[in-house]
Amino acid sequence: MDNRAAQNTELGKFIPRPSRPPVVTSQGLVGWLRKSFFNGFLNTMLTVTVFTLLYLLIRPFIDWALVNAVWSASDRRQCLAINSDGACWAAVIHWFNNLIYGRYPNELQWRVNLGLSFGLLWILPLNLKKVTSKLQIGATGVILYPILASYIFLGGERSNIHYLLACTGLAYLLIVYIDTLLLYLGSKKSSQVIEPLLEPFLGKKADQVGFFLLLGGLVVLIAIVLQGLELEHVPTGSWGGLFITLIISGFSIVMALPIGIFLALGRRSTMPVLKWFSIATIELVRSVPMITVLFMSVTMMPLFFPNTMDLNKLAQVIIAVCIFSGAYMAETVRGGLQTISRGQFDAAKSIGLGYWHTMFLIILPQALRTMIPNIVTSFISLFKDTTLVSIIGLFDIMLMARNISIDKKWFGLHSEPLVAISFLFFIFCYGMSQYSQNLEKKLNKNR
Amino acid sequence: MVAPQNELNASTRKLKNLIYDSSVRSWFIQIFVVLFTAGIAYYLFSNIATNLRQMELPFGFSFIGSTAGFDVSWSLIPYDPSMSYGRVYLVGIVNTLVLSVLIIIFSTLLGIVVGVLRLSKNGMVAQVARWYVEVFRNIPLLVQIVFWFIVVFSNLPGPRQSYALLDLFFLNNRGFYFPFPTFQPEFIWTVIAAIPAILSIFLLQRSSNAYRKKTGKRVPYYHALLAIIVIMVMGVFIVSGSPLSWIIPTLQGFNYKDGGFVPTALVAAFTAMTIYRSASIGETVRAGIQAIDRGQLEAATAIGFPPLKTLRLIIIPQAARAILPPLINLWLTIVKESSLAVAIGFPELVSVFMQTSLNQTGRAIEIVIMVMGFYMCASLTISFFLNQYNKRIQMQEG
Repeated sequence: MDNRAAQNTELGKFIPRPSRPPVVTSQGLVGWLRKSFFNGFLNTMLTVTVFTLLYLLIRPFIDWALVNAVWSASDRRQCLAINSDGACWAAVIHWFNNLIYGRYPNELQWRVNLGLSFGLLWILPLNLKKVTSKLQIGATGVILYPILASYIFLGGERSNIHYLLACTGLAYLLIVYIDTLLLYLGSKKSSQVIEPLLEPFLGKKADQVGFFLLLGGLVVLIAIVLQGLELEHVPTGSWGGLFITLIISGFSIVMALPIGIFLALGRRSTMPVLKWFSIATIELVRSVPMITVLFMSVTMMPLFFPNTMDLNKLAQVIIAVCIFSGAYMAETVRGGLQTISRGQFDAAKSIGLGYWHTMFLIILPQALRTMIPNIVTSFISLFKDTTLVSIIGLFDIMLMARNISIDKKWFGLHSEPLVAISFLFFIFCYGMSQYSQNLEKKLNKNR
Repeated sequence: MVAPQNELNASTRKLKNLIYDSSVRSWFIQIFVVLFTAGIAYYLFSNIATNLRQMELPFGFSFIGSTAGFDVSWSLIPYDPSMSYGRVYLVGIVNTLVLSVLIIIFSTLLGIVVGVLRLSKNGMVAQVARWYVEVFRNIPLLVQIVFWFIVVFSNLPGPRQSYALLDLFFLNNRGFYFPFPTFQPEFIWTVIAAIPAILSIFLLQRSSNAYRKKTGKRVPYYHALLAIIVIMVMGVFIVSGSPLSWIIPTLQGFNYKDGGFVPTALVAAFTAMTIYRSASIGETVRAGIQAIDRGQLEAATAIGFPPLKTLRLIIIPQAARAILPPLINLWLTIVKESSLAVAIGFPELVSVFMQTSLNQTGRAIEIVIMVMGFYMCASLTISFFLNQYNKRIQMQEG
């Protein structure tokens, strides 16, 4: 002790020796491997055993799916002739279009792509940070996009109102993109550009009126430009594949949100009638399997309406799935509402907000934010559950895949299509679940 | 001039008060909702009435008594085509329950294993468990069921080349065969002997617990318990002449006869759903174990608890509290999901009643009500017990 103290005073400053680097085997890749795979004799044995088992299990699958696979052949017989030990992916490739679009006519499939890309375009601005009127874009999308999309998908003779509304959808989307572009260029919104022209006549309302004038003008313009365009009619009966899976699950999850919000608010309401009505709806729908709801929609729903009414199976199924997912969404929303502290309600009350203002300006925006991961999770499960529509005979991706084995050329080929769509679903669902987990982490960080 | 305006003001104020009175508003809204719902219901019911009149199918459950006339491929309870639709309903319910109970038991066991393995310190094991969960959770159940049915179990060899385990269990492309117990009438004595044996378990447990509470000493009563069970139950069983025998399936001609049998559809649905749900149960178990404070484990180690005792007395009781409610909800989901077996033709409730019977009788409304009614009863019963359980837990905490 004394010696060292003396040494220190002598030198005036204590200079520690540079510390030795950590043992090579405890850090980096080697360290990680050692720590989690080979720490101790038993663990090493375990790792080796599990690895061997895994290898024995996966190797034959890889041999079948990749090494011995046949990628191009004209029918199953040729597949077997080339290599009978491998997967015959040629069938899946041959049927790929049908797996995606069902029996939608080949030369019209661009319409499906177009309609779905409009949907993507509509979602895109919602993910941009700078865009401010997200609620408006979202709400308008919920109302106008299905009209626009159905016009594009269905084609044929549609009523003028349908045509005009579809044009409105296009026009609105155009305005959103012009505005977003202007926003990133740093200038005003498009409606604000023409605002000064209107201000002398209209005063304060010029902004809103300007927007509607712009929209109206664009609608008329688009309606006139597209006047001569005639889309061939494609009945819903020939829709199918991944396309119909996306339509059913996408439409239902979007519709489930408003249904779920109202049911959840009803459940928390102080009015007994509303409360019990909501509870009964939620609990009854949640207590039955989805397949029974689907069976109900095809067998019982036609009895609900006058038999002169022309119902189509897709609409029936979509209604059923909407109600079903709405009841589940109500519970998600309820969970979200429960995370909001009482203080928020009290604060809203104290500044004199009424019920709807409190809910839509204070509570729901906060609750929805915390709910996004759960909504994505319910979308994943809905997306998977949509395969059930194949049981009642809708040609979704599942039924298309099953139909490959009935095709004369590929008769009896069962496993390849099933593996292929399993892979597709896995990529979709795993990706979405990772996305939702990231969101959850981000939300927790912000708290 | 002044007076009437005042009066007017007073009356408008009264009206305004009335409009903005929250209780009046709530009454108004509720009456509106009731009338609206009633209106829709009236519209739907009048349509149903007209449609049914046109189809000449008056609403009623009398069809339950009439002969079904179709065969059901597999049933636990005796059934033949001359029986009624009511019997078909019962067959469907029993088959659904058999399938769901099997899945519940095995997926829970497998799920616990998966959940514990996911937390393994060995990286290899943890990663394998993780990808097991990810793969089976992210592929639709229906795809998995059809895959197991068509690709795996229907491609098994025929009865003559069945896979056999100990020459007792046989698996082939028709199904799974296993020894089935038969009870002779003397077996009743064993059952009678079992009753006091079971009672003595409870009594022993109680008195041992009481003694422990009083003195702090643990009395090992397991030996006594074992003795009672062995002497009483086994003794009676042997004395009465071993009245239990196993019928072992034997190959006769082209098929196995005797013994127990479940069809391929059940085996496939069971396998697919057990694996699918074991993934989600595994996640629940993992979350439950991770929810326990690390300090609990450290404290147990600090006071010198051996690992097994820590698990039994510290970890499991606390994890159970977090795991059980979501687990019971998953069981409920399994009961509902078992209806997917309809896709591969397993004769459960939806398949025999909502498909076959509905196609034959055309009685959509009655059948939908009956099928949904069963699932509702099952769900409400289970969630009733779940709520009771939750209340008990909460009371202990508070």
